[in-house]
Amino acid sequence: MGEEKKNRDLIPSMIKNKEKRAEVHANLKNQKKLEKRKRAKARDAAEKQALELGEEPPPRKTPRTIENTREVDETVCKPDDEELFAGNDADEFSSIIKRDIVPKVLITTCRFNSSIGPDFISELLSVIPNAHYYKRGTNDLKKIIEYANARDFTSLIVVHTSRRKLDGLLIIGLPEGPTAHFKISNVVLRKDIKNHGNPTGHEPELVLTNFTTRLGLRIGRLIQTLFPQDPNFRGRRVVTFHNQRDFIFFRHHRYIFEGKENKKEVDSKTKSKDKGEKASQPKVVARLQECGPRFTMKLISLQHGTFDTKGGEYEWVHKPEMDTSRRRFFL
Amino acid sequence: MPRTTKVDCPGCPPLRALTFDVLGLVKVIQAQGKDSEIPKVVERWGEPDYSKSVLAASLVDRKFDPLLAVARKNGLIEVLNPLNGNLHVAISDNTDTSPPKDDAIIGMHLFAKDELALASRRCTLLSCTKKGNASMRSIDFSSSSSEDISTNIVKTWKVCGSGDVLCSKVDGSETHALFGGKGVEVNTWNLEQCTKIWTAKAPKKNSLGIFTPTCFTSVTFLSKDDHRKFAAGTSSHQVRLYDISAQKRPVISFDFRETPIKALAEDVDGNTIFVGNATGDLASFDIRNGKLLGCFLGKCSGSIRSIARHPEFPIIASCGLDSYVRFWDIKTRQLLSAVFLKQHLNGVVFDSHFVGEADTTHSAVDSIQQDIEISQTFSEEEHTPQKRKKASKEDGEGKKRKGASKENKKCKKKSHGETESKQR
Repeated sequence: MGEEKKNRDLIPSMIKNKEKRAEVHANLKNQKKLEKRKRAKARDAAEKQALELGEEPPPRKTPRTIENTREVDETVCKPDDEELFAGNDADEFSSIIKRDIVPKVLITTCRFNSSIGPDFISELLSVIPNAHYYKRGTNDLKKIIEYANARDFTSLIVVHTSRRKLDGLLIIGLPEGPTAHFKISNVVLRKDIKNHGNPTGHEPELVLTNFTTRLGLRIGRLIQTLFPQDPNFRGRRVVTFHNQRDFIFFRHHRYIFEGKENKKEVDSKTKSKDKGEKASQPKVVARLQECGPRFTMKLISLQHGTFDTKGGEYEWVHKPEMDTSRRRFFL
Repeated sequence: MPRTTKVDCPGCPPLRALTFDVLGLVKVIQAQGKDSEIPKVVERWGEPDYSKSVLAASLVDRKFDPLLAVARKNGLIEVLNPLNGNLHVAISDNTDTSPPKDDAIIGMHLFAKDELALASRRCTLLSCTKKGNASMRSIDFSSSSSEDISTNIVKTWKVCGSGDVLCSKVDGSETHALFGGKGVEVNTWNLEQCTKIWTAKAPKKNSLGIFTPTCFTSVTFLSKDDHRKFAAGTSSHQVRLYDISAQKRPVISFDFRETPIKALAEDVDGNTIFVGNATGDLASFDIRNGKLLGCFLGKCSGSIRSIARHPEFPIIASCGLDSYVRFWDIKTRQLLSAVFLKQHLNGVVFDSHFVGEADTTHSAVDSIQQDIEISQTFSEEEHTPQKRKKASKEDGEGKKRKGASKENKKCKKKSHGETESKQR
């Protein structure tokens, strides 16, 4: 017993002999594991006992994650903020979100694009309704913006590639901006997804999650303007932009509600007639089928107004000095 | 435990600042000057309305009867009382030929040194629109009823034939005005006679033979009583110092980072300027030699639209598209505090006659003096011992620098003399 106590007090990293150190460390680890198991067992037992006695089980603890220990941010939108709503009513996206204008999207590549660009764009075209691909040629982006403005486009997407890999995505709201520049990574095209589905031409539903701050809300609204505001629920097509730790995950799914009869219930149906009614109501199961592409975006900058690298004003730029903590998020 | 970085705000001396945003709101921020107190929004004037977005503002900062003029997007110019937000008078910018949308007001100045003003409650203001229509008008609001407001435009003139005016400034003695913009070289006007007295010349082509088109985004005079020297910021991220008495091309020009300069402000000593650019970098420069004194670091990420210098305390305020107002210490270049104001901000001004709660009993002059003392002790108290050492070092350096700068000045004077003699 005395030795054990000694061992506990020792810090393994202070021991200079490697063999001994490894042994002590392994011991310590084992003990910790046992203790943890004991605690879990005790907790389970308490819960079971409470259930048997008909009491409320003790509340389960929530694990501490980076998201729920996020640094306090005063720019997080509050639901009772009248200035926020007034600001939203007046911003560049309100005319589309109020359904006064139907969104029309122009998609183009960077100037020296490789084949991955058009491949990716052909899939984007199937995701975004009323999107048109134009070859970039040697046109300047500012000229393209003028052209798109003249033709009543509401947004412009530029897909950037380098070394035959996608690396950037520019989303420009027309005619007044803003311009969001995203880094794009983890691209999986449709043909590389196993058991992928093929989307229909219906207007998709849009899911935007976790865009909480003022900046996040603005980005969310910018993405919202790419899609028509009246989804066709017959298509059962859903496009998701999920924000987690400032990374925006894009997914595109088809869903289906299937009536599925449970085998056990079928068995019980034959056994007893009382449960027959229940079994006749088929259990509804929602199933998802992914129809790509799949990619991740990260915001690099948000520019006020349309694309202008020389004279443009930035609303938000990522700077290295802002990364002071892992728990600081901007969207 | 999660490691979180706390924004350490040392707090501000008693101050009062007004901010103007794109929803047309005027917000008043006050700090009472207690220990490490964060300034708060105490008042909000106006209803959120995008068409009333504030484009320019000017404050007459005096103890008795201060005035605030605000130019809005829908072409209205309002004169307010900056103490309680009461509207004195609202006039429309009657350029009846052109709708106000494509001819927005970009700069405004409310004249402080107006003898008539105190007697008969009238004020004079200079406004300049984007297309270069400058007008000087005097507004009479002596009677309480809003009907018989008499505005008589004293003078109107065209600043430029073509191009867009983007910035304007009136000097401390209020006799001269500067205008500059996209395709408009900086030019100086004498306001009493309404004549253009000086126009800048574009800098020469660079070594590659490339000429950068002129686009001035901000101008400021270096000192209050000298209209001859001023600094200008361009959208090609250059800060230039012009001297009317010396030459038409810039005396000094230097680059700052890689995005257009959006805001300039001068220090009271006339040697330092504060430069803010479109990615939210803020720095102070010694304008005599174009040396960077230091950057103000504070995780600022949106374009800076306006910088204001407090007349008494060594404090500047900056605001812009990231919708924060930040207060900085000039000497240590540390962030004192940041206030989140929800909208894109277009301007900030200081009301220097605000006295904190602590010394309301004293008379005005005493209290201001005391405030200065307090602020000094305050700023000294702020430093941890280590930092104090640093500060003292800096002071020493400052002295050295001053010495150096004196020499510089001498040199400059010499050179000036030479040029003058040459001219003769």
